[in-house]
Amino acid sequence: MIKHQCEVDTTVPASTPLLRTEDLKKSYGGVHAIQGISFELHKGDVCGVIGPNGAGKSTFIGLLGGALSPSGGRIYFEGNDVTRLQAPYRASLGIGRTYQVPRPFLNMSVMENLLTAQFALHPLIGAGEAKAFCEEILERTGLLEQKDWLAKDLPLLRRKRLEIARALAIRPRLLLLDEVGAGLIDSEVSELIELILSLKDKVDSIIIIEHVLRVVRECCNRTLVINFGKKIAEGPTSDVLASREVAEIYLGNAANRHSQSVTESPQEQKTTSPVGVLPQAVLDDAECLKPSEPLLELLQVHAGYGQAKVLQGVSIKVFPGSTVAILGTNGAGKSTLANVISGVLRPTAGQFRIDGKDAGLSLPYERSRLGIAQCQEGRKIFPNLTVEENLLISTRGLTRNQRLDRLDGIYTLFPDLHKRRHDGGTAMSGGQQQMLAIGRALMARPRLIVFDEISLGLAPVMMDRLYMALMELKKSGLTLVIVEQDVARALELADEVHVLEHGKIALTGDARSVKHDPRLKSLYIGEAIA
Amino acid sequence: MGQIIAKTTKVPSVETLKIQSGGLMLMALIVIGASGLSAGNYALEVGFQFLLLLIMAEAWNLMAGYTGLVSLGTASFVGIGGYTLVGLMNRFDASLSVAVFAAGIAAMVLALLVSRAVFRMRGLYFTVGTLALAEALRMFMVNSDYFGGATGIFLAKDSPSLKALFWMAFGVLVLTTMLMQIGTQGRFSVLLRAVRDDEDAAAQAGVRAFRVKLGVFALSSFLIGLAGGLQALKLGVIEPYGMFGLQWTVNVLTVVIIGGQGKRFGSLVGAVLVVALSEALADYPAVHLLLMGFALIVIIRFAPQGLAGLLERTFNRRAQGGVK
Repeated sequence: MIKHQCEVDTTVPASTPLLRTEDLKKSYGGVHAIQGISFELHKGDVCGVIGPNGAGKSTFIGLLGGALSPSGGRIYFEGNDVTRLQAPYRASLGIGRTYQVPRPFLNMSVMENLLTAQFALHPLIGAGEAKAFCEEILERTGLLEQKDWLAKDLPLLRRKRLEIARALAIRPRLLLLDEVGAGLIDSEVSELIELILSLKDKVDSIIIIEHVLRVVRECCNRTLVINFGKKIAEGPTSDVLASREVAEIYLGNAANRHSQSVTESPQEQKTTSPVGVLPQAVLDDAECLKPSEPLLELLQVHAGYGQAKVLQGVSIKVFPGSTVAILGTNGAGKSTLANVISGVLRPTAGQFRIDGKDAGLSLPYERSRLGIAQCQEGRKIFPNLTVEENLLISTRGLTRNQRLDRLDGIYTLFPDLHKRRHDGGTAMSGGQQQMLAIGRALMARPRLIVFDEISLGLAPVMMDRLYMALMELKKSGLTLVIVEQDVARALELADEVHVLEHGKIALTGDARSVKHDPRLKSLYIGEAIA
Repeated sequence: MGQIIAKTTKVPSVETLKIQSGGLMLMALIVIGASGLSAGNYALEVGFQFLLLLIMAEAWNLMAGYTGLVSLGTASFVGIGGYTLVGLMNRFDASLSVAVFAAGIAAMVLALLVSRAVFRMRGLYFTVGTLALAEALRMFMVNSDYFGGATGIFLAKDSPSLKALFWMAFGVLVLTTMLMQIGTQGRFSVLLRAVRDDEDAAAQAGVRAFRVKLGVFALSSFLIGLAGGLQALKLGVIEPYGMFGLQWTVNVLTVVIIGGQGKRFGSLVGAVLVVALSEALADYPAVHLLLMGFALIVIIRFAPQGLAGLLERTFNRRAQGGVK
């Protein structure tokens, strides 16, 4: 089932691969991120790259795109050695990449973001021609209406599209996509797949790093699995995904799950998961604990940014010890709601109460004193602080013992953080940073914690671990509000579920009844199509 | 989808901007030129200082506002320009036009020489690096007998008349405006701003960031060198504390921050305001400094895009309000 790469005879030019790496290596200080990957890609290939967080996938893309220079090994593009070629020159050869965390030119319009590549690579191109070309890309990526917007005004998911569009603007022959599917709901994933498939005849070859397995399954004819910087497996996608080794290191629970989509309504079984049996017991617990006073209460809350009214009269009660999930499509207002709860955004109308007291105008730090913490979308780790310093930031004023005690708690929950505690906060992989973000929120010992899209961009096996951790937190009596794309996981954990649509609550109920409510399905699918 | 209608700043297309700003700049030049024709000595004196400040501010804005290269090394290029001009005229009897041009070229050569070193540093480190460059050059000049040491050098020839100086500065401004027009409008500006916003992502899109930065640094230094040459010509005597003084750096930075970084009219608006204020308060230097500092704080806090940015926003809002 695992196909080891056979050595290719370089003397045969007829079958020159589009891209070939030879014993490629990259280390940062003492960390060996990539340890000798030999790999080749032929014209027409769409190759998926999967592996646990921290496996070295993004480093691999960085090496291919020229942003990083390898510590050893060689890279050949169409038989030419490009190992020492810098990023702009690789772009002119036709290697285009996207960044996992979008990095658009923030103070430039969407159109200018695309024109950059045109003007850089073809300085003498006619302005009209360049524009027409970019407009066509914008249309294909669904950004045409926003072409005159400043990139900084685009929400996260549009920025991700802009990443793809900008990579396409160099007229790439090899396209490197780094987690472009993260955070998309089902119907959007379908759109993405359609987009990638439509690119097949414009681009010679595509490499896709992705945790959304549907994308890998439906787009990639070949898949490469990386772990600890080494190639674990490579071969036709279906073979690789079926292999047991891959299931162990990467897929985790997702291998049992057929698909994580709502359309296939996650089954009751779940005998495999130790987590699955817990919620009921905890729910009963919470039931008896539940006092009449809600910890947090929102009454007809309106909020938005400038002209845009995102939330239009949302009422939610959160009782101590309960877990509330907020679901909804992208743009429904989930993150806005999370921001209102944590105090980052002030409601424009309606009532906001903590412990029955009005707190609508309190600032984020005041909320944090009242015991409300938020784990924000996009992690927001302090890059210049070490892991431990990141954790300790909310514990000023505590005694040394208290601090150590809390640190111990976090390190028990996330042993990875203990191993990396002296490293820079952003030097870790995406999954570890997410753990750090959660750990940091927990260090303040909040009573209520808001998790905004914490599973975004995580390997399935890592998501399992995160949700196990959340289950532990729930058992310890912490009140949780989770904002989530992954409906199945959220429903597994939550007691109560609110589904947002167009800034209003479209569906509310306990997790069990919502799960079987046909409206859930229609809200998710229906809205996205409309 | 709620967030899609989120507040946005619509950006006018590159072409409209090009035509609008080109026209307005031309008008500004005509006004400055016309007022020079009929000006008396006092006005010419102020006008000359205004022109130099504006040239340097434009050059600095090209670097800081458009390319993200915030330099505190302005004084090094002013100084090199000044010393080159005086040296060439004294020792080699160079003609005026050759000496002024050479002042710019010398500054550009300095920029090219130090570029490898300073571009290794990014962001704040670049800023501090350029500051160190200016200070190092000044210390060198103070201690170098060949360049006259701390006492400086006299220009062996007579300085041209104030009127001639004004028109020379005006000529450099016209050149600056033309170069700025090319550099900040249209396709080249797209590359500059891409480097400013994210150098790595720009490289990934095919922009040769090092070359872009080098080009801008050289061009900007050339213009500042020209201005430095003119300043030396006007003074007739140069010494390191004046020519390599931090004051140049600070003045230019003040003008651009008050006017608006990365705004086409930022330097113009800022220079008018700064010069007008310093003339109005010439008799009260303490009050002048106090007001300047206060203005800087207020603008950085409430209008980070400067006065030009503020005007632009009001203008845009009115335009949009009209539609609704």
